[in-house]
Amino acid sequence: MKRVLAATTIAAVMFSVSAASLSSAHADVVKFGIIMPFSGPFAVLGKQAKEAVEAFQKLNGKTVNGHEVQVIWRDEGAGDAAKTRQFAEELILREKVNVLGGFALTPDALAVAEVISEAQTPTVILNAATSIIPRKSPYFIRVSMTAAQYISPLGGWATKNGVKTAYTMVSDYGPGIDMEGEFTSSFEKGGGKVVGKDRVPLNVTDFAPYMERALQSKADALFIFAPGGAPSVAMVREFERRGLKQAGMKLMGSGEMQEIFLPSFGDSVLGAISSNHYTESNQRPENIAFRKALNESTGREAVPDIVAVAAWDGMQLVYETVKSLGPKFTGDQAIDFMKKQTINSPRGPISFDPKERDIIQNVYVREVRKVDGKVINVDIATVEQVRDPWKDNNPNAK
Amino acid sequence: MTQLLTILLDGMSYGMVLFIISVGLTVTMGLMRVVNLAHGAFAMIGGYMATVLVLKLGVPFLLACVLAAIAAGILGGLAEMTVYRPLYRKGELPQVLLTIGLCFVAIAALTFFVGPTPLPAIVPAWLDQMVDIGFRLYPAYRLFLIVVGGLLAFVVWLIIERSLFGARLRAAVDDPQMARSVGMDVSRMFTITFVGGCALAGFGGAIGAGVLPLEPFYALRYLVYFLIVVAVGGMGSFRGSLVAALAIGIVDTAGRYIVPQFGGFLLYLLVFALLLWRPNGLLPPKSVA
Repeated sequence: MKRVLAATTIAAVMFSVSAASLSSAHADVVKFGIIMPFSGPFAVLGKQAKEAVEAFQKLNGKTVNGHEVQVIWRDEGAGDAAKTRQFAEELILREKVNVLGGFALTPDALAVAEVISEAQTPTVILNAATSIIPRKSPYFIRVSMTAAQYISPLGGWATKNGVKTAYTMVSDYGPGIDMEGEFTSSFEKGGGKVVGKDRVPLNVTDFAPYMERALQSKADALFIFAPGGAPSVAMVREFERRGLKQAGMKLMGSGEMQEIFLPSFGDSVLGAISSNHYTESNQRPENIAFRKALNESTGREAVPDIVAVAAWDGMQLVYETVKSLGPKFTGDQAIDFMKKQTINSPRGPISFDPKERDIIQNVYVREVRKVDGKVINVDIATVEQVRDPWKDNNPNAK
Repeated sequence: MTQLLTILLDGMSYGMVLFIISVGLTVTMGLMRVVNLAHGAFAMIGGYMATVLVLKLGVPFLLACVLAAIAAGILGGLAEMTVYRPLYRKGELPQVLLTIGLCFVAIAALTFFVGPTPLPAIVPAWLDQMVDIGFRLYPAYRLFLIVVGGLLAFVVWLIIERSLFGARLRAAVDDPQMARSVGMDVSRMFTITFVGGCALAGFGGAIGAGVLPLEPFYALRYLVYFLIVVAVGGMGSFRGSLVAALAIGIVDTAGRYIVPQFGGFLLYLLVFALLLWRPNGLLPPKSVA
């Protein structure tokens, strides 16, 4: 009796297993796990990414060839690398995600490198901008940018446009120091001279003393870099309030001048020059479609930023992968496929360096102007298909 | 020389914002012995309130700051009666945990309802310009901060040092048990002081938004400065907090201007030295000294 029972049980289990695998062969679920901050000081990044992903799925549907693409979100909080790693393990082991993605800050991405190498999970970097990251695991591919990449045209543009001397003011942490170095080298290559530099601690928001030093230096331009949010807002406001603009100094920066932050500055930011890989108000059909989808999905006049556009393109990459490889693929297959893609992104055409698995894209020099009563960035120069200069300068760094 | 004066003005205006926000904290901490880490949240809420009033409803800047102070005060009063009162008899750990929790609640609420990006500046055009002060052009906004801070300090001084309420308050800070036993209603005094402190914080958050930009993380970002003012000034000491706030503003500014490579380090060195020299702060009340 017992034996019969056991046999039926086994048969029943086997039947249900095979039934399950049969049905899943027709319509599989592809899981895309995204780890971003939704709370803490970097919450804006998570919010932007999520809105773009939701808009993408609203526009393109949640299924590719009948296979559902399910996005699973994890909030890593205030730039917490240890937690990011934990979530990556949980997403890979328990949720069995097919693709991983996200990572607001460099430490977050670095923290998961070992995990994804071990699990061979293809991983799409949606923000973290330090050059070296994709070299830390063969399963990384980056759709965002590197800091060196999007700042590299600025120094050259400045020397060609009447800026002879510059003062640099950057936040005192990894990306800030990289930015200072990259701007200085491209500016001096063009014949400019950096007459002074300040590195400001990250927690500072009273920039009066630094701006006073910059003012006294009488440089033609001030180059700034600060993470988006309170520090960069305070920096630009003090620039205006202390009369550096009146004194004829040009303000130059990068991500601080994204359209999403412009309302925080008020009119003080008009005339500022920045260099970036995505101009939010560009008139490419892809961008118009992107912004329309975003507005419809969020139900308001949404302003995309570099994270939103990276998340949008990241989704595109995943959808293309599922379209071509089907719902089941190995990490190597996926990465191999992804790095050969070229995408007509809202920011312009993008492709990937197949060796480095890092993005190649246009970089735009923009000026903040008031157009029809709205403060936006307007392209004034374009450098096409920029590779990450750091990698070419450091071919063997690991 | 003109550079020294500039540093002095920059430091004083920064210090005045710290003073307006922190004076409430120092009095309530001295009086109630509650480690209120959520104090920055009241300043933040005041600032948010003023921003909404100015940008959405077109209320003039100064009126918006006053309304924000009132709102922060009312909120503070409600919080005192419901959340803080049961805490007075608890130890420091529950106080720290609960008030830091309140901070997180405020941060999450503002992120959810208003969004995570920093708010636009609300400093009006008549303040956002340069004025000639004899030896140079100087931002009017910063002069305005110094004047308003000075006026507020005078008013608070009048209340604390020259009024009956102030005399009672000082007595209660120095010896709460004795104050109770001679018939003072100390818990009512707590509530009033807490409301006043929160109102000042809200006002400071609104008026100082040009120096300390508003964003949901405000409540934690500047907390360490507010606590330094209290620690250096001496818990419960009004004059101590004024001296401490100005000293911190000036030293921090001078340090950044003269030796920027040390960053904000000089300030912490100063705090370290001061607290070694006077562990209870510069001008501690009698009960602590």
